[in-house]
Amino acid sequence: MSISLQLVSLLFILVILFFVIYILRKGRITVKYSLIWIFAVVVLLLLLLFPKLFIELTKILGFNVGSNMVFAGLIAMLMFINLSLTVIISGQSNKVRLLIQEVSLLKTKIEKQEK
Amino acid sequence: MKVLLIIPAYNEEKNILKTCKKIEEHSKKYDYIIINDGSKDKTGDICKKNKLPCINLIHNLGIGGAVQTGYKYAYENDYDIAIQFDGDGQHDIRYVDTLIKPIELGQTDFVIGSRFVKKLSKFKSTGVRRMGINLISFFIKIFTGRKIHDTTSGFRAVNKKIIKEFSMNYPTEYPEPVSTTTLLKMGYRVDEVPVEMNEREAGVSSIRAWKNIYYMINVILSICIVSIRRYK
Repeated sequence: MSISLQLVSLLFILVILFFVIYILRKGRITVKYSLIWIFAVVVLLLLLLFPKLFIELTKILGFNVGSNMVFAGLIAMLMFINLSLTVIISGQSNKVRLLIQEVSLLKTKIEKQEK
Repeated sequence: MKVLLIIPAYNEEKNILKTCKKIEEHSKKYDYIIINDGSKDKTGDICKKNKLPCINLIHNLGIGGAVQTGYKYAYENDYDIAIQFDGDGQHDIRYVDTLIKPIELGQTDFVIGSRFVKKLSKFKSTGVRRMGINLISFFIKIFTGRKIHDTTSGFRAVNKKIIKEFSMNYPTEYPEPVSTTTLLKMGYRVDEVPVEMNEREAGVSSIRAWKNIYYMINVILSICIVSIRRYK
């Protein structure tokens, strides 16, 4: 891997890392959900800092070209993140439904008592 | 026995008053509660003006979430039997008695008012719909071993045990066939009783995607998933 490509990749990864930390500090993401992103960044960083590891891994997994492994890896990672987001959304929509129901029931009860 | 009619209503301003009048004319025995599922029309105002018992959901939840609110209300207020009854004039109040009879006698836990048993109803729904209903019926038979004829009927009565069950867990997606399958899997007694149904007088059916294959695939998938879940 050329030095310039390495530098660009490093910059890209650091931008993601700092952005995650930034929104984490601002409280726009919870620690629980930021972990998956931090984990992903760490994996990318390891591969970048140790190119030998990267090349070995490409051989072991049977990819012809290194970039193919990167693409495959990234797609797998994004799919995983997407799936976990779907799980989170499903859980939240259940909670929202419960809230709407309980609030509506309580509201009706209160209005009845006020009359 | 305390009996509650749960009437889910979404944009039913044209029908809701008529439906409630019919219930009151028929019998004072039955309490009813309208679940106004965040209607955009005057359904809520009509309920308020005419002092109809009504729960206004603060946001639209869809038929499953609305009906579940009714079951929660039934559970909190200690009702013995709850009946789902459509606000659009499709269901006939005279059949409520036949619907709840098997439950009152303790013969069953869950009764579905069916259009297809004994061919009582003139209104049978369109051909495509019937095909869909039959296909769902076929899959429920495969997974539970029971033949349910009218799988999408929204005219159903449940006993106290199931009121509690439904108030805690009720499917929000494709609630009718999915809840029936769940109850069968849990070992509850399910029965079908022949009823007549009318064509809706105004408003739109909650199942708009009928012609859509997507809907069928989703329902069948839901039934499969519900069937492979574990129940203690």
